[in-house]
Amino acid sequence: MLNLTKIFNSFKDTVATKFGPNPAKMLIYTGVLGWFLSSAAQVLAIVVNDKIPKEQKMFLIPQEIGDGAINVLSFFLVTSSIKALASKLVSSGKLATPKIRQFLTDSGINIKTKNGWKVLKDFDFSKFNIKNMTNFDQIKPEYESFKNGVDVIGMTVGSILSCNIITPILRNKYAAGRQQKNLAEIKRLEQSKIQYPKGISIEDYKKYSAMKFSSGSLKI
Amino acid sequence: MIIFTYLGRNMASVNFNSISNFSFSRAYERIGRKASRFVLNCVGSREKLPTISNPKTINTIDWIGKKLSSAENRLILGASALLSQPFIDASNKDVDKETRRYSICRTIAKIIAGTVTGYSIRKLCIKSIDAFTKLPSEVKPDAKFKNLRQFLLPTIKCTADELSQYKNALGTLLALGVMVFTNFLIDAPLTKYLTNLFAGSSDPKLKKGVENAKSN
Repeated sequence: MLNLTKIFNSFKDTVATKFGPNPAKMLIYTGVLGWFLSSAAQVLAIVVNDKIPKEQKMFLIPQEIGDGAINVLSFFLVTSSIKALASKLVSSGKLATPKIRQFLTDSGINIKTKNGWKVLKDFDFSKFNIKNMTNFDQIKPEYESFKNGVDVIGMTVGSILSCNIITPILRNKYAAGRQQKNLAEIKRLEQSKIQYPKGISIEDYKKYSAMKFSSGSLKI
Repeated sequence: MIIFTYLGRNMASVNFNSISNFSFSRAYERIGRKASRFVLNCVGSREKLPTISNPKTINTIDWIGKKLSSAENRLILGASALLSQPFIDASNKDVDKETRRYSICRTIAKIIAGTVTGYSIRKLCIKSIDAFTKLPSEVKPDAKFKNLRQFLLPTIKCTADELSQYKNALGTLLALGVMVFTNFLIDAPLTKYLTNLFAGSSDPKLKKGVENAKSN
């Protein structure tokens, strides 16, 4: 039998360990889920809105579907990439506060100069991570507080860029293409329904007239 | 025929090997590594490392990391969306004028409806979670539902900041569950109402009709 208390406690602890120390991660995951649910509702809103003409609906429905799909994709690609880059700036020690700089100087990573701080020429930022340092605990509270702030800023900038600039431009292109295609299809269907005048070839006319009981040599 | 069979076999083996060796996640990681190296080289110089020294800026960054929940994030996204999306729709020359007008009206309506409900529901849910995630020292003896006040506390040890983020995360997850329904019950009808309102008021023919009716 399922132990519901155990499952519930495990769920709470997972949320606490996954998102507690990393608020930006939570914002990305819940953002993706939120955009998906929101897009589903918006599609439904257009479908049931009688006041929007059919031609506009043909543009707005694919626009909304494209919006949702592009939002989710851009959230994963753009937002998480910018967040990861912002995160890397802090974890590599490239961007820091004076306290973190002092810690890195004491550990021999940074060198204090007249103008501020510098690193040695062969130092590779992409391979360095402050968290992996043996004496990391000395700077942990200061570092985590700063890193979380930069992460959330990176995530917010990324989501503004992806949801408010990249997505609207891409979805408009996508939806306009879909509208043209759908309009052409409607035109084709309307033309196929037209009974008269209907252009027929001579060959068709001959066959058609031959089949009619009144055709050919009329008996008066 | 023999040559074709030989070539075909070899091509198949080459394709198979390249497909089995190709991994999107590995390619994505490789691109990510190169991009991060590029950005790390671009930001600041090695001779003068970028350091945020202003105490006010440092406090603001700390505050953002600790206090900015998904509700405030939604508000920021909504405000910036109002400043960018209608203009992007207005400059969309791929569609006719009428469709463009509807598109702008719907975009504005969607942003307003989505931001108002998204922010309110997230904020309410985070508040509700907070009410049942109290530490034993925070529970007053005369508090209502005293036994439930610690119901949502995690069983593992957390710092005060981590507990605050945990409440935000749990509140946001609850909000997403609530929004499955409110998206259909509030968001969608509100977007529809606002779209018709904006589309009606921005329609010159309709406007003229309203003015005529008023003058009569």
